[in-house]
Amino acid sequence: MNSRTSSIPAAARVAARSLWIVGILAATEVARGQATEPPPLFAFEATPIGALPPMALPMPASRDYNYWGLRLQAGQRRDRGLEDLLAVAGGVDLQMRGGSIFGLTGGYQWRQHCQSTITDCGGHSIYGARARFNILTAGPTIAGLWGDGDATTTVGTEMGIGYAPRVTPDVNACTFDTGVPLSVATGERFRFVSFITPGLVWDVECSGQGKPAARSFFLGGGLGIQQLGFRGLDVQVGLQRVFRGSSGMQLGVSVTWVRLP
Amino acid sequence: MIDKRLCVLLLALVAGCRHRVSLQEIPASEIETTIFFVGDAGEQDPRQVGSPLDSLAAQASVAPWRNIIVYLGDNVYPAGIPAEGAAEWADARRRLEAEVRAIPPGVRGIFIPGNHDWSNATEFGLYSMRLQERMIASLAGGRDIRLVPSNGCPGPVPLDIGRVRIIALDTQWWLHAFIVRDSLSNCAASTTAQVTGALREQVRPSGKGRVVFVAAHHPLMTGGMHGGYCGITGPFRRFGGQSQDIMSSGNKTMRDSLRSAFAGRPPLAFIAGHDHNLQVLRGGLNVDYVLVSGAGSESKTECAVRLRESYYASQHHAGFMRIDVMRGKGVLLRVFRYPAGRTGGLAYTRWLELR
Repeated sequence: MNSRTSSIPAAARVAARSLWIVGILAATEVARGQATEPPPLFAFEATPIGALPPMALPMPASRDYNYWGLRLQAGQRRDRGLEDLLAVAGGVDLQMRGGSIFGLTGGYQWRQHCQSTITDCGGHSIYGARARFNILTAGPTIAGLWGDGDATTTVGTEMGIGYAPRVTPDVNACTFDTGVPLSVATGERFRFVSFITPGLVWDVECSGQGKPAARSFFLGGGLGIQQLGFRGLDVQVGLQRVFRGSSGMQLGVSVTWVRLP
Repeated sequence: MIDKRLCVLLLALVAGCRHRVSLQEIPASEIETTIFFVGDAGEQDPRQVGSPLDSLAAQASVAPWRNIIVYLGDNVYPAGIPAEGAAEWADARRRLEAEVRAIPPGVRGIFIPGNHDWSNATEFGLYSMRLQERMIASLAGGRDIRLVPSNGCPGPVPLDIGRVRIIALDTQWWLHAFIVRDSLSNCAASTTAQVTGALREQVRPSGKGRVVFVAAHHPLMTGGMHGGYCGITGPFRRFGGQSQDIMSSGNKTMRDSLRSAFAGRPPLAFIAGHDHNLQVLRGGLNVDYVLVSGAGSESKTECAVRLRESYYASQHHAGFMRIDVMRGKGVLLRVFRYPAGRTGGLAYTRWLELR
């Protein structure tokens, strides 16, 4: 079922019920009796998993300490066939005993060059929580194939939940995602990290309007530099595609800073 | 154009942050004391002693009067020195002899015990330590080469060489699950509290410009197998209760005690082996640097993960560390690893800064 073709109130409600979140202010638009078609917005596009860029697994650290970190992210979802979506967010992460990381995210998403005559182009807030677990952190493995004997390979798993209230006046967006990210860090003077983040995202019913219907595969990846000048500072750029409809491509940048003793 | 200039400037700044130093750049006359740290060297090739011991011996033979070689434990694999008459005795002696021979005439040699020297952490450990001490004395032939701490004692034992103080600790004594003292023991410290108390005193030597190193077998921090990295079982090793691992409660208690002894007057570096790789780490609480130099046996080298605290990590290479205490205030660390590349084995350099 694809709500992108909907242009009448009934179709918009059906789309909301299935949590194919129909375009922002569709109901308002209809209420105003305008003929303009409301642009759709999938739930995952409105929550951190789709609004913000993917990131590499955390750099391993001492088993003796828990480290707090701050995170800034900016993302753009483009090539959707509709206007681009922009998002900025900040977060706090706790890396426990050198491996697992637990983070909270809060941010804001809006439409770029919103052409709608609808009044509410202002966007919405986004929230998320994420747990990432380093399962295997080992030697060169993959990077050994191209001769870097000092590389580090990290394979982990992650789970996240996302929430965006009032994506449309009567619809909240909720998602759950899980993935198996893999990172390879190479180099000594500069620590370059490349990563891929395959996973699944589910739309979760949270508007009280019906059972969600969607589950999608996503694949992200990116490049970054760890310990950029300061040992706690990492910068990464990431791309991500969720394989559902023409949801376009997510790209963005993430900057993290870990407080070391 | 401005962007291009900015990029060039940034690159120059970043490149300039880490100046590499070669052996030739340091005038020998400026070096006051040189200490070589090599760990887990107890598995040398029975046919020939290769790298890193031959390279270490070659460097140490230059100006031997100012050089010290410290073996950081696991001097004899797999289970220390067995009782005389055991089938393994001759091979155990062969392993120890290779290390003693790598100490050139005139160079002081210090052997620190490791878990494998304590009969691979079994019941025979205390007696194996005494056998190793006697064998080292025998092989040394009157030269200044000895096992420290001696007689199965935990230490700490301070060794003063000019401005340098090396404090030797037997960390396996802390972790050993079997007998650690008997009627023949006559240790200055015989409880963990006494060890910590003595250590607290010893890291505060009198005199100006003192440089203090603490040497032991078990590291305070590591990105190797014993740190829960380098394998799929890593994160779960904490549930195995292996005291040899960083994540076990016994090991953590020991490390917390040691760190507490350093409060207020951190040693410049805590130097250990145990993981078979080479790591230079920021020390964290109460220690400036943690060095892991456990790559003394080429056949035993293992993985090392670069941690957030790491300055340098070398895996799957044999090697050792060399610290030059300069006549000025500088302390220069150099890491050598083998097989040697174009740099003749020199893989990393860093001036260790006093806090």
